[in-house]
Amino acid sequence: LVRSEGAGGLAQWVLVELQGEVEPRQSGGLAGSLLGDLHYTREGVPVLIVGHHILYGKVVQLEKPFAVLVKRGAGEPGPAGPHTHYTVTALIKTKLLFKTRPKPIITNVPKKV
Amino acid sequence: AMRSRAEVDATLQTAKLNPAELLPVVHCLSFGTQAGTGDCCLLQLEPGLCAELEAGRSLVIRGEKDEQAVLCSKDKTYDMKIADTSNMLLFIPGCKTPEELNADQASCDIIHSQIAGFSNNYWELRRCRPKLKKLRRLLMEDPYEGPDSRQDQTSTFSKYTTEDLLSLIQASEEEILHQLQVIDACKIEGYWRILEFDYEMKLLNHVTQLIDSESWSLNKVPLRTCLEELGSLEPREMIEHILLSYGRKYIDDGEVYFEMHEDKICRAIAQMLLQNAVKFNLSEFQEVWQQSVPEGMTARLDQLKGLALVDKTSRPETIFLLKVEDLPEDNQERFNSLFSIREKWTEVDITPYIQDLCAEKQTVGALLTKYARSSTQNGVKVYNSRRPIS
Repeated sequence: LVRSEGAGGLAQWVLVELQGEVEPRQSGGLAGSLLGDLHYTREGVPVLIVGHHILYGKVVQLEKPFAVLVKRGAGEPGPAGPHTHYTVTALIKTKLLFKTRPKPIITNVPKKV
Repeated sequence: AMRSRAEVDATLQTAKLNPAELLPVVHCLSFGTQAGTGDCCLLQLEPGLCAELEAGRSLVIRGEKDEQAVLCSKDKTYDMKIADTSNMLLFIPGCKTPEELNADQASCDIIHSQIAGFSNNYWELRRCRPKLKKLRRLLMEDPYEGPDSRQDQTSTFSKYTTEDLLSLIQASEEEILHQLQVIDACKIEGYWRILEFDYEMKLLNHVTQLIDSESWSLNKVPLRTCLEELGSLEPREMIEHILLSYGRKYIDDGEVYFEMHEDKICRAIAQMLLQNAVKFNLSEFQEVWQQSVPEGMTARLDQLKGLALVDKTSRPETIFLLKVEDLPEDNQERFNSLFSIREKWTEVDITPYIQDLCAEKQTVGALLTKYARSSTQNGVKVYNSRRPIS
């Protein structure tokens, strides 16, 4: 298995860490569906609105950054057998950690625009 | 349809959040089309690896089906393990931090970010010893017996190039190349070979006899003359290889000389003597050994660390061949093997047989604490197995 990095600089992504699981609302699966709105307060506190919940989090600089690996198709066979290629697509040095209990949004009627 | 700023503001109002307390830019997060496919995964990087990747260097995962995968940088090897988290990790390209937003003077107020993937686990790395025992095993499949050997022409065994070894050995390139040097491998017709021991001794013998007949100093053996005198007996590359294996090359006044390694030569001769029987009477062996080494060299038992073991409990005392490279690579298996050979070991005796197991900052003492139990016998501290050995 060989992994190599793409040419040019590596993109910097961000990790968002949430408690619990992410489940699709629609039966069609997650692809294309909205998660929510991410805001930051003027003090830099991340605020995530997901469905009827507000989550407050914090920005954390990762002591051990992550590399994001993407599996490419099988490469040429070698003496050890066919190789699977992984490419490092991006590095993640920052995460937004949402650990506080979500605050439910109490709605009356959503305001129509 | 993508969310509009108006919809975002409406949500804020419903949530009773004051936009004045927030930065003007919002990220609308949605799942990208590839998000659920699982083709993306996370690898937690040990110090130094991040910098290596940013510098454009590659990392390689190595391991055949029956092996535990390892990750190799240019010069280090790491065990890979999956770490589970109870949380969900979403990885998002193009998502900005508050600092980046404040620094950026752009006028947009909405960023549509697509989540590239998500996971509740990631790969963890732990620096480990390179798995190099296989290297020796592969090269021992077909040791080189010399140009006269018919085996080379008819041999159907695998021979290995550098590239072959890189794909088969779970270690970094530098660690592999270093180990090839340590085991005195040489490249013959593009393939890495180990010399068959008898052939190696034959070559060494040519050189030591020449040194003797020419009355050269052991510290100043001239390459040119060796090639001239021995070139008719053996290939020049082999003569040079044996000198490189058993001596230190240097240049004096434009000529290449070798400073011969007394310890290594004596050790090889001991191996040659010891491999002929299960064990030897110690004093008889020492006498024959000293007579067999080149003039001017002194044979000493401390040259045989990791090669042979002296049994001080037998009457008379005996010595037998025990090569550390023949022992298992795994820590627990190594200790099991050693304790089945001898029940109790002193630290001095066991150290050469466990030294290579030490991880980066680990000591022999730490290994002994972990894998053995100590006791005192006749006033001497000895180590035995923690568990019964069958």
